[in-house]
Amino acid sequence: MLIFSRYTWWVGAMLGLSVFLTAAGQVGVRHPVQGAFLVITRPAEELLTSILRPIAGFLSDAGSISDLREENRRLRLENEELRTQSISLQTDAERVKQLEEALKISQGAANEQYLAANVVHRDSSAFTDVISIDRGSNSGVRVGMVVLSSQGSLMGTVTEVFGSRSFVRLITDSKSKVAAQVQASQADGIVKGAANRTLTFDLAQADIKVGDIIVTSALTGRYPAGLPIGKVTEVSGTQQDLFRKVTLEPFVRLSTASTVLVQTSFIPQGLLEAGD
Amino acid sequence: MKTVALAMALLLAALAQAAVAPLFPLSAAVPDLCLLALVMVVAFGGPRAAMVAVPVVALSFAFASNRSAALVLLAYLPLLPLAFVLEEGGLPLNRFAQTLVAGVATGLWARLALALGAMADGAAPQPGLLVAAVLVPGVMLDLLMLTMAYLPLRALGVEPRALEIPRSRYGWS
Repeated sequence: MLIFSRYTWWVGAMLGLSVFLTAAGQVGVRHPVQGAFLVITRPAEELLTSILRPIAGFLSDAGSISDLREENRRLRLENEELRTQSISLQTDAERVKQLEEALKISQGAANEQYLAANVVHRDSSAFTDVISIDRGSNSGVRVGMVVLSSQGSLMGTVTEVFGSRSFVRLITDSKSKVAAQVQASQADGIVKGAANRTLTFDLAQADIKVGDIIVTSALTGRYPAGLPIGKVTEVSGTQQDLFRKVTLEPFVRLSTASTVLVQTSFIPQGLLEAGD
Repeated sequence: MKTVALAMALLLAALAQAAVAPLFPLSAAVPDLCLLALVMVVAFGGPRAAMVAVPVVALSFAFASNRSAALVLLAYLPLLPLAFVLEEGGLPLNRFAQTLVAGVATGLWARLALALGAMADGAAPQPGLLVAAVLVPGVMLDLLMLTMAYLPLRALGVEPRALEIPRSRYGWS
């Protein structure tokens, strides 16, 4: 039997190694070792990703061709609507500029700074949704920084940083919680990652309807205000319910994004308090 | 030379598990390339290679994916003892069936352990989803991949090796 076999000592050794690894993680010994491992294995990982990502993208698209057709149709309609809005906004902006000039008001240009990074790895399961990017502390990335899609929608936050690699928890990860608000009504709530990489929005007794835009709120100091997160796709429950179940669709297709932007100009509250 | 090639192959499997496997999901389960590599080592490489391979693959995957190394090691730990018990147990199973049972059972345990780890770390517990979207598709993926890897190797003439450790090599009485 196994208990009397030579495998017993090996199982014991592995359990001992597990305890040691846990302790090493707690006292910070793991971090430099893992950093060195990531540097050494980076070329191999990049090679694997560059070869297989296009194949995966093709298979993914081929498997969801009807969804893509529907999405394409919806995006065409949205595009048309946005073009109309854009023209209207340009007119408004011109009018605001004229009024500012008339009133001698000037507003400083936005000076957000972003760092472009490539997604090199994705750890995606029913309960976790984490990516790693090819930029780290050498490029100025710090834990807590906000990560956006190339179009500027919120993707997640940096959770761990190595020299040339950072791990980012996406908003669809089960542990993710983002202070947010309904763009139209300014009602505050929390966007939570739910199981199977979905997004829910918790807000207390406020009007909300399908199609409402949800953006980040500066309430906790961890996110800059106004970053687009997603659109409401389902609202269940009545207005009398304390918390209605609201489901969101993120603006960015988190599963296929290959390039992201790290907002280096925004320092989250936690980092400011730490004096970094 | 053979050892270096094996180590490189295992490292590559761990890196591919972190970088590439999540791109090919079935429902919420992803192919477990680490498990596949380890099962092949257990079946064709013998016990000593397997004893080294398990911690090497577990640590490499944990480092590449920023997961808990201890948890990943515990996830793959049952494979070798289970394969040994199946071999010694006298069950009416041929080597292929033994390999499949050991691989699938370890895959099931590994996915369960990693999901429980995520839940312990703050993810909302969803047992129904875990079974329907992770464990069941995971078993199917494992069965498919283990069969696709095992049978061609046997067809090429690679012989499975026994898991009994020769006593004399270690000087134990």
